[in-house]
Formats: sequence, C-alpha cells, structure tokens
Amino acid sequence: MQATHSDESAALFSGYKLASYDELFGPDRTPRPHYAPLYDRLIKLGPDEIERRHKVADLTMRNQGITFTVYGRDQGVERIIPFDPIPRLVSAAEWDGIERGLKQRVRALNLFIRDVYHNRSILKDRVVPAELIFGASGYRRDCLGLRVPKDIYIHVSGIDLIRDAAGEYLVLEDNCRTPSGVSYVLKNRQVMKQIFPFLFTEYNVRPVDDYTDKLLSVLRYIAPDGCDDPTVVVLTPGMYNSAYYEHSFLARQMGLDLVEGRDLVYDRGQIFRRTTRGLQRVDVIYRRLDDDFLDPLAFRPDSILGVAGLMGAYRAGNVGMANSLGTGVADDKGIYPFVPDIIKYYLGEEPIMNNVETYRPLVPSHRQHILENLEKLVVKAVDASGGYGMLIGPASTKAQREEFRRKIEDNPRGYIAQPTIQLSRHPTFIDGRLDGRHVDLRPFVLYGEDVFVLPGGLTRVALPEGSLVVNSSQGGGTKDTWVLHGSGADGRRAPGRPTPEERS
Amino acid sequence: MLSRVAESLYWMGRYIERAENVARLLDIGLFIELDADLGGGERFSPVEIALTILACRDAFPLDVEAPSRDAVLRFLTFDRSNTQSILSMIARARENARGTQEAIGVDVWSEVNRLYLFLGGTRAQRKFVRGPSSLLNTIKNSCLLIDGMIQNTLPRDEVYHFLELGRHLERLDVLCRILRAKCPILTQQVEGTEAAMQLVRWTSLLRSCSAHGPFLRSERERVEPEGVIRFLVLDPEFPRSIRYSAARCQESLESISGGDDDAYGCEAERILGRLESDLRYLDVEEIFDRGLLRFLDSLQHTCHRVSDEIQRSFFLM
Repeated sequence: MQATHSDESAALFSGYKLASYDELFGPDRTPRPHYAPLYDRLIKLGPDEIERRHKVADLTMRNQGITFTVYGRDQGVERIIPFDPIPRLVSAAEWDGIERGLKQRVRALNLFIRDVYHNRSILKDRVVPAELIFGASGYRRDCLGLRVPKDIYIHVSGIDLIRDAAGEYLVLEDNCRTPSGVSYVLKNRQVMKQIFPFLFTEYNVRPVDDYTDKLLSVLRYIAPDGCDDPTVVVLTPGMYNSAYYEHSFLARQMGLDLVEGRDLVYDRGQIFRRTTRGLQRVDVIYRRLDDDFLDPLAFRPDSILGVAGLMGAYRAGNVGMANSLGTGVADDKGIYPFVPDIIKYYLGEEPIMNNVETYRPLVPSHRQHILENLEKLVVKAVDASGGYGMLIGPASTKAQREEFRRKIEDNPRGYIAQPTIQLSRHPTFIDGRLDGRHVDLRPFVLYGEDVFVLPGGLTRVALPEGSLVVNSSQGGGTKDTWVLHGSGADGRRAPGRPTPEERS
Repeated sequence: MLSRVAESLYWMGRYIERAENVARLLDIGLFIELDADLGGGERFSPVEIALTILACRDAFPLDVEAPSRDAVLRFLTFDRSNTQSILSMIARARENARGTQEAIGVDVWSEVNRLYLFLGGTRAQRKFVRGPSSLLNTIKNSCLLIDGMIQNTLPRDEVYHFLELGRHLERLDVLCRILRAKCPILTQQVEGTEAAMQLVRWTSLLRSCSAHGPFLRSERERVEPEGVIRFLVLDPEFPRSIRYSAARCQESLESISGGDDDAYGCEAERILGRLESDLRYLDVEEIFDRGLLRFLDSLQHTCHRVSDEIQRSFFLM
C-alpha cells in the first residue's frame, strides 16, 4: 500500500519537539529555506529507507576500521563513532560570517602566542594578567625567544562553535594544540556520497576533499630554510591512541610516512627516520603528540612516545613542527575570556564572533556570582578537555556542587564558569524517526601562506535526549556538515540538472 | 621505508599465508575423514595432524578425555588462547595491517579488518555449526582476495616486496611442515586394504597444497610418491612448490636490497640463493637417497636462518 505524503511525514517527524534554536525548522515549524529540499526528500524517502542507508553507512565505517579508542575499562576498546545520516546545512551567508570570524580569531591568537614568547607587550600593557599566562599548563618556558618558521605557531586549529537560542554562533572553545576530528569530516562526506548520492545533485555542497592537499602545503611551507623538497612525516603516539585512525588516515591521504617516536632518532642536531636502507633525514614533523611527550630529555622523562633530542633539533631550526610547541597557552580556558581583547589589541578590529559569557573566579564579583549560582552554570577546569573535569550545574547533585565549590575556592585560577547554553538542535535519526538533538560545530583552520577555513567541519551530536555533552568520549555522535554555495537563496542547484542516481 | 613498517608488512604476509594454509589443511582433512573409513587408532587423524603441523599439540587442553573432531577444529579455528588458531593469526595480521594502513591502502586494510570482524563475530560461529567446510572456504577465499588486492593494487615497491617475502617464506615453511608431519605415514610400506588408503593420503597431501589438479596435468601419471615429492619440492612453475617459493623470496629480497646481479645484498639473500640453485639441480632420487626426512629437516633449518637474517638486516636498524 502506498503511504500518503502526510502519513510518512507523521511517522518520520512524529513527536518532534521544537526546543532551543532548531537548525531545520523556523519558530513557526516550517523548514528554513535552505533546508526545504532536504526536508521534502527525507519525507519522500521515509523511515525504512533512511534506516537501510544508515546501516550501509555503519557497515562501511566498521569495515574500514573508522574507529576511536575509549580509555578506561579493558584498557581501550575500539568503537565506531555513532554516525547520524541527516546532514547539517549551513547557508552561504552564515558561513561567510563564520569564516571571517575564524580567520580573524586565529590570526590574533597566533600573534598572541608569538608575543608571549618574545616581546610580551600584551603583558606590559596589562591586557591579559601575567599570572594567567605563566600559570597556564600549555605555557612552555622552553619557547622563550624561540623563532619558528614564518612566525606561524597554530598551523592547524579546530574552533568549537555553538549556536544559542537566538541563532547566533558563539565560540565555545579554541583548540590550538592537536585538534582531532577532521578525518571524520572527510570520511563522513565519502559515506554520505555513497548513501545519498542524489542529495548532492540537488544541493551545491562545497567540497572538503582538498583539506589534505592544503595541509600538506602548510607542512611543506614550514620546512627549514634551504630545504626545497622536504621530507614530511606524521608523528603518532601509536596504535592505541584514541585518534590513531585519524593519524593513519591523514598520513595515507598525504602520502607520508606515519611514524612513532621509536622510528625517529636524533643525531648531531638532525632528526632521522629508521628505514630499511638506514637513516634518512626528516625535515618537517606533523606531530599528533602533546608537548609533554615530545622529548623525554626536555619534558617528561618517563615518556617513551617521543624522540630524545627533538627539542634540540627544533631549537636549532633543523626541523619544522606543526603545531609549534607551546601553543597550548592560547587555548587555555583561563585565556579564553580574554580572546576578544586579544583580537582588539593585535588587530585593532572588533571581534566578528563572540565568546560565550564567561565568569572567572579570580574576579571577586564573578566568584561570588559563581558560588551563588552553581546549579545554573557550567564549570570547567581550565586545563581539561574531552568533557572531563566539568560540572554541569542543572544536571549535578548537591555533592558534586559542594566538591566544585571547594575546588573553586582552593584554586580560583583553575576554573571558569559559563551559563548553561541551550545549544541549537538538529533533526537526528533515532529509533526510526527524527528527533531534535543538541549539536555543536568544529570547523578546522589551516595557517600557512594564507589562513584557510575548511568549508564544513565536524558537527557533533549529543545523542542522549536532552544531553548537552557532544564529546565522542562521552557518547556523542557526528554528522556531515554541508556548506552551501551562494547561488540561489536556498542553496539548490540550478534547475535542469539531471539526477540519474536518484533511486540508487 | 620505515623498518617498523617493513617488519609489520612481512609478518602480515606470513600470518595471512599461514591462516589460508591452515584453513585449507583443515578443510581437506575433514573431507578425507568424511570420505574414507580410516579404521581403528586414527579416528580423526587427518584433522588432528594439523596440531602436529602447527606444533600446538601441547597447547590443546588435555582435560578433554577423547578430544572430538569438533573440539580440535574449534581449537584450531577460533581459540584465541591458541596462538596458532586461524583467528589468532588473523588478529595479528590485522594488528599489523592497522599499523600500516598508509602503506597498504584502504582496500587491503578493509578486507583484512572485515575478515577479522567476521571471524570474531557470531556469523562465523553459526556458519561453523552449519558445516565447518563452508566456513573454512570462506576464510580461504578471503585470504586469497587479500592477496588478489595486493597483486592488483600495489606498485612493485618495498611495500609489495616485504608482503611477498613474508608470504612466500611462510609458504615454504608451511610446506616443509606439512611434508614433515605427513611423510612418516606416507612412506611406510603397506599392503592389502591399507594400500588403497595410501593413495588417498597422497592425494590428500596434494589437495592440502592445492596441487592435485596441477599435478595430474603436469605429470600425466598416477599418484606415486616420487612424482608427488618431485612436484611439491622441485617443480619450477607450480606456485606452491618449494622451489617456486624460494625463487620468489629471492626475487623480493633482491628488489628490496637492490643488489647487483653478481653480488648479494644480505646474508638471507646468500642463503636463499644457495638453496635455490641447490633445488634447481637436485634430482628427486637424490632426495630419497639422502633421506626425505633429513632433507626436510635441513630445509626447515634453512628457512629459520633466512627468517633470522631478514630480521637482522632490515628490522633491527
């Protein structure tokens, strides 16, 4: 029996609740213009067909080993990240603002890092408190006075954005060390092309595939002077690291060796890799290893992941490294509240994108406000990531709030607090129908000869109903993010294009 | 290429080759058992002999009084505590493949990963219960598919040659082990009804090396011990003969070390070169004169020396 259009619609969107800012529906429950073709198409497909295609996607990911490792029980279990097949669409106009905002932010942060390790004018001018910088866990004294190639520190960054109830994009977090997730952006796109080819013929989606090309250019750009054809490697902590899939994927896409610390050796100021034909020189390292583990001689002596002597080669300018050492000072959550000031200070511009309102216990009036409103706020440790070390006020117990009260009083520098923001929601395929789930967005920015923002990014979804935590280590999923071309208000392709694979 | 990657590729080649061989061995063993009345004392020997070939008889749990054929098959197929089980070998091959994805490419990696996930999952168990033979064939075919991908997607560079080196050295080694385990029974002088059984055994030996059809075509004669041994040891064209495998190992080694024609790049190449020329001028009567078992023992010894030398020359840099 042929189901009628409205029956299908009822099944797919039955019980769909509007809350927060909904990415697909406007407040009057009609699809936003750029989502209209997708909405129609989803209803035409119906739940069973979406389910079937969803399973194909999962199987592809499982077979290709697109996994991450969860730490904790059983010393690490490989899992695939739950993948949601409903794409998120970003209109050309929205993206324009995001792109300009991110470029501005990353340029300013880069100038900030250089300043911190050289002139320190921002400290002298008392724009950012010195104690915050020197107390940041990402601050590296070893970088004082150290010149890095082309003065670029944050070659790769992932800036987490959220959308508040009014639909405004806000920066939630800067990731300036070794942000993960770009492999899922590229892989999600491949899988989507496989399962929904006809959607791509309908929409003008900006491609993401050239990311690895661009990344390779950045890496080659930071080779030591006089090195015309640099040997570049990707440095991974190893197969048991949670982001190993990504490291391997990037190396493969760029045609580079994926090395571990034990594959490299320092000799007379240079870094070499151990090959079947002896030692060969390495010029640039894209490291996916935290500062602390890079060189047991300079940092943690117990680390077996790094290369003894690497810092020596880096300091001597014999090897380029992305990201540079010490960038963690810029993504410290204690610095975060000052980024708008940092942008004004270095660029003389107003910030294009705003921060989430943030309270700092160091400021007495803020501290009082935080302690009085713990059940309404999100409290974050400034040096934690991955959704660890957080208090989510509305979902917390009294005991947890007491614990954080003590922590904040003991170490006011160690925490920040933000109002709980109802992240925007997006239709997500759950149990055979669509339901709204909170999402964020991590676009990736490359800094080489130019600043480049990958059109798209990783949309992370908090899968449990009502949850605001999107981290994959906390059970979050991902979905593909489509940045649409400017032609036509709704991002549709010009009419008359054939859609041959429509029924495939 | 990186020494660590080379080592992983070499072992991946070996594990997949061995898994394929074990699957074939078990399948043929099972086939023979179902086919022939073996008489007392040898209730499940064609399958059980795999325990000897893989040198894991001691690891088999002894608390089972009379191990059933099913228990032996499971032990050799699925038992994770048995390092020689097919699942254990595919698990190690998969670890090696996972660490070298950037070298082997997504096709080969996905297929190894898929086989591993399949073997560890419930579908393989169900298939086993319905009939082990079809499961064993699935495994064998999957291994051959991986090889097909390697042959048809990889450029003939070091990545390819380390995989090939591992594959053919393992093939050589497994063939030695199979012959070594089966020959004592095969070379016994027997009469009467047992004589017919001997023919079945020689045929099964050929089958467990995928050599039955090729043998019949090339020798155009009855299955006789000398012909079989000549074919499996000395035939230059059959891809599962000892001579053929040794020649492929040598070729891959030459490509890897890039030595000249009249010089050898490493000790392993020298040992293999000597073996290859020995096999080239050897005559099957001479093998029997030397004593088949002694010949096989020295062959296996050579295999181990080559493996040690490869380790020393390329992986311990």
